[in-house]
Amino acid sequence: MLEDKLLIWKFNRGNRNVLRGIYEKYKDDLVTLAAALLNDVSSAEDVVHEVFVSFIESSRKFRLTGTLKGYLATCVANNARNKNKARRTHRGIALDEASPAQADSNNPEFTAIFGEELRQLSWALGQLPYEQREVLLLHTYNGMKFKAIARQQSVSINTVQGRYRYALDKLRSMLNGEVKK
Amino acid sequence: MRPADNINELIKKLQLRASAELDKRVHDDISAALTKSEKTKSVQPEPNIWRIIMKSRIIKLAAAAVIVIAVLAGLPFFSGNGSGVALADVLERIEQTQAFMYRMKMTVTGAMMSGMPDGKKEMEGAVTISNEYGMKMEMTMTDADTGQKEMTQQMYILPDKRTAIMIMSEQKKYTRMEFDDDLLARMKRQNNDPREMIKQIMGCEYTELGRSVIDGIDVEGFRTTDPVSYGGAMENVELTLWVDVEKWLPVRTEMDFKMNEQMQMQGVIYDYQWDIQVDVGEFEPVIPEDFTAFPTEGMKMPSMSEEAAVEGLKFFAEIFGQYPKKLNLMNLMQEFSTLKDSENLTDAGLKLKEEMKQMTKDEDDEHIKKVMEMMRQVQSLGMFYMTLVQDKKEPAYYGESVGPDDADKVLMRWKISDNQYRVIFGDLTIKNVPAEELAELEELSPK
Repeated sequence: MLEDKLLIWKFNRGNRNVLRGIYEKYKDDLVTLAAALLNDVSSAEDVVHEVFVSFIESSRKFRLTGTLKGYLATCVANNARNKNKARRTHRGIALDEASPAQADSNNPEFTAIFGEELRQLSWALGQLPYEQREVLLLHTYNGMKFKAIARQQSVSINTVQGRYRYALDKLRSMLNGEVKK
Repeated sequence: MRPADNINELIKKLQLRASAELDKRVHDDISAALTKSEKTKSVQPEPNIWRIIMKSRIIKLAAAAVIVIAVLAGLPFFSGNGSGVALADVLERIEQTQAFMYRMKMTVTGAMMSGMPDGKKEMEGAVTISNEYGMKMEMTMTDADTGQKEMTQQMYILPDKRTAIMIMSEQKKYTRMEFDDDLLARMKRQNNDPREMIKQIMGCEYTELGRSVIDGIDVEGFRTTDPVSYGGAMENVELTLWVDVEKWLPVRTEMDFKMNEQMQMQGVIYDYQWDIQVDVGEFEPVIPEDFTAFPTEGMKMPSMSEEAAVEGLKFFAEIFGQYPKKLNLMNLMQEFSTLKDSENLTDAGLKLKEEMKQMTKDEDDEHIKKVMEMMRQVQSLGMFYMTLVQDKKEPAYYGESVGPDDADKVLMRWKISDNQYRVIFGDLTIKNVPAEELAELEELSPK
């Protein structure tokens, strides 16, 4: 945390070299988060790239109020949500009618990376409605508090907690039922 | 264990590695940003109004002068209702003197305005006051952290000529500023004059500190912490006066106050010399031929008039789309200085901000004049409000809740007679209203 504050302090003073340190420190977690949200490694990398491009441009006005990891995860989540929305709009499906994402988590790349057990999880995550998936990942994988997620999603904390519970229940049900794609 | 048994633990195990291609893309972008940043730096130094202000020694001087003026203006006003017998004796003694001098030291800690670096500045000066000729002050400013002398200046306040002149020897520049009638009247009454300081303390609640010894002299102390003693312009005020118990003349004055959220000032006035002989020539500034006027002729000192205050409010609203939150002078200056970072500006504000960014010549007289003129408008507003507080005119200001569109709401008011108040409304119209009507108007206005 202190290290992050120092990085941001330098960043605000125009030391853009610290960006390399920030990127190296968080890149894998961010790519994982984006990939789990989008079920697409290539799109996930695009998202992380776009987040860093914006971050580079924000050096003078950026002010860290929480954790750097939380901030970057929120940016990734927002960006991924936009990408997801655009993808669905492109396919002509309204967001609220959207079926779960057709994950490429069934592909050999995911299996090779995650192993069979995690591949199942990845597939099951892909079946969750996007908002539930986002809450679950931000809370569990990134350690964000429900309150912060509620702010990020512009919904009440009760809604966020509800989405979290539904997500866990559905995952448990899918994984126990061995309903594999 | 089945996967569903511990979903949270499983999720935490998810881990992808960023590809080499992503690494390259991001690092290339960072490199491009670095290159662009270096090029921008070399072609055009960071265009920032406050950088310009702080880089320009001359504007720093002017900014320091503003602080001194604020302190001078903030000191002594009398209310005439004091009851301290001992202080009244001191006052009578001083009033017999025609001219005197003293030395002063001030330490300012913190950032002068938003975005300026923190620092500790020491200002030292010698002041001569003549009832007949005016005031002369010589001042130096030193960076307390490095010990480096940053500036020296001579300042003359010449009431008969309604002029203040600052001479900056190192820069070979001088500034001549005119005062208006209001400021002139006030300057005639104060100038850090110990007489006014005593009247001030007498007009506030004060405590007697008892006897002490300063430089071998037996003294008696008087202290006020009443914010009115600085016109409400400063917070956490502590003003202490030590008086020679035999001669009944001040020996030492100590000041300690918070100028705004960031700045603290401590000062001491000492080495008083009473009833000295002065010559008119001492109050005639000598400006060497090779010195040039800075920034140009025709500058004006901040005014303390109602008109100037309304102009200040209008100027602020034109830039920010709203009125300042507080009218405390130093907070006001600080709020104005947020111009450089603020995104919530009017079109005029954005244009001004952009214009400031274009200023690349630090010593460009026209630009400097423009900056000082803006500062003057803001200072005038703060100083007018300060006079209302000092004169105990029951001023109230509602800039946090009243905006330019609130034509029927009270933005600011002060008492002008037993039953009449002067009221500035949100649309900057001004009206005298009876106390009962004011009560109704304020009832309707958000607090």
